[in-house]
Amino acid sequence: MEIAAKEPAEAGFEPLLQLEMEMETFLSDWRHCDQLSTYVARMVSHNRTDPVRHSNFFSSALNELLELSFRGGSPEGQIGCVIYRQGATERVRLSFPCPPGHRQFYREAVSKTHREDAYARYLDSISTDLAPSKDVVLLDLAVNFDAQVRLDEDAPPFLTLVVDLPLEGIVS
Amino acid sequence: MSSTGLSIPFKAEFDANSQEFSLSGVVRPRSIDEIAASISILKEAIGEVRGVLYINVRRLVQMNNTAFHVFVRVVIDACRARPDLRFVIVTSSVVGWTTRMFARLNEIEPQITVEVYDSKFYPGQSFVENTSFIPILRTQTKMTWRHERSILPRHGLRPGIVMADICCGIGDFAVLVQKEFQPARIVALDHSKASLAYARDVAAGFGITGIEYTYGDASEMLLEDNQFDFVSCRHSLQIFNQPNALLAELYRICRPGGRVYVTNEKNSHCLGEPRSQSIQWTYNEVAKLFSHFEMDVELGPKSRRYLADAGFDDIVVESFMVTNLDGDPRDFADVIAAWEDVYAGEMAVKRGDSPEFIQRFRQGFQDHIFAALHPKGYAGWPIWVASGRKPL
Ligand SMILES: C[S@@+](CC[C@H](N)C(=O)[O-])C[C@H]1O[C@@H](n2cnc3c(N)ncnc32)[C@H](O)[C@@H]1O
Repeated sequence: MEIAAKEPAEAGFEPLLQLEMEMETFLSDWRHCDQLSTYVARMVSHNRTDPVRHSNFFSSALNELLELSFRGGSPEGQIGCVIYRQGATERVRLSFPCPPGHRQFYREAVSKTHREDAYARYLDSISTDLAPSKDVVLLDLAVNFDAQVRLDEDAPPFLTLVVDLPLEGIVS
Repeated sequence: MSSTGLSIPFKAEFDANSQEFSLSGVVRPRSIDEIAASISILKEAIGEVRGVLYINVRRLVQMNNTAFHVFVRVVIDACRARPDLRFVIVTSSVVGWTTRMFARLNEIEPQITVEVYDSKFYPGQSFVENTSFIPILRTQTKMTWRHERSILPRHGLRPGIVMADICCGIGDFAVLVQKEFQPARIVALDHSKASLAYARDVAAGFGITGIEYTYGDASEMLLEDNQFDFVSCRHSLQIFNQPNALLAELYRICRPGGRVYVTNEKNSHCLGEPRSQSIQWTYNEVAKLFSHFEMDVELGPKSRRYLADAGFDDIVVESFMVTNLDGDPRDFADVIAAWEDVYAGEMAVKRGDSPEFIQRFRQGFQDHIFAALHPKGYAGWPIWVASGRKPL
């Protein structure tokens, strides 16, 4: 795992931390999702108004994103996660390699979070689906974390999810 | 049922007597098979209860969507199969995401309601949490610090350590410790949003950064196990109706070999000359008043026993007396005036005391102030300091 302070520019956002890991290593243990999200959340939250609660909330969201890349990612290349901040919002830029056939699925899942019926879909999914689908994970972020989700189409096989989390305002 | 290997172990339990199913810790399974045993406990609970099943998620620190979905599915299916049953999900105001995620369920099934657990569940909470306590705390810490700054090193406080001040009030103790002892990290936790806001303002005003003020419930904190070298909890065991539960949490977050430091009073031992009898009477009444609200302000000398029962070793106990001779006697008088204000004001009124009682009650405080300011007077407020080591 590498941690560095430099990262691609993201207008108006201040970079807080960047983390990269071989996808193969990442995929070797499910607990990496929990460990990374806990660790990153703590680092990012230390100077928020309520660091402990911000970290708990942030970890919850980041873990879902990492789990998503764990379940949908493929083992070649690196997973990269950069966290930025602007005011009360943290931005997570998560890039990971995934099989070509999955790209369309992510496009749709992201666009569902923007639709007016996102909330109804979310409720519908928790009341009827047997297991959480990948799109409900993004809907959960939109509904429960007030997240704005976007997809950056990198060169295949990489896919980048950009998720803005305005948690400072919710926590404090 | 519990699983290991996670930072905070996950537990699912059912208590048939209280019809309460509770989930706690961190649960982030890859597949639902990993939590099959917990799901069975929930299903059995549903099969057993009548009327209402309480689902307590106050101590649920993390739960991923995979786990959330299965638990919720079981409950939603049960709503459909058992229209006679209601579900009350109890979340904590401290854990933001649980409150938000579980609150949605009521929109799916009206049989499910969500209650947010907070201060109304503690008998005396409203007094100690509201802003009228702020002047009391401020003057108190000013007086006690003169003594504690030299006492603290004997109980393990030293530069560079990682510490937590639990029930930090307006945070002035954390600020003083930060300045005097330069710990590597201080987390300061309280359940009063007003006090925390005040604390953050004060820190910002003095340009102090690095104190992590956090809103939380001391009897079930989000803080992880075995983290802190030094955990202080001042004047607060005595205001909990279950001091043991609070101590268990302090013990949990302290690292093995670290120390938990508590200070408490024995109010009936406040004293003054002249007018000692009136003073004595009033402080005996203070102890009774607090016990009416299930708080034990006589706890000081019992702290050795509490620490021993909680599993600490190398217990050190000492006491000191804050007096009118410590510095400006006005400071002492200010503390007493602040007590009179809340104890004989809000609290006595809430208990339903008669005006005659309140008048006599007030007189003792005023006599204490008289003793403090009298050129030949002496007035004292004794405090018990105790600390114990969490065994290695
Ligand atoms: C008597 S004050 C002591 C404050 C501070 N330690 C001091 O010495 O100035 C008790 C404090 O406990 C806090 N408190 C009460 N119940 C609490 C709980 N469940 N969790 C965290 N703090 C709590 C109150 O808000 C209050 O600030």
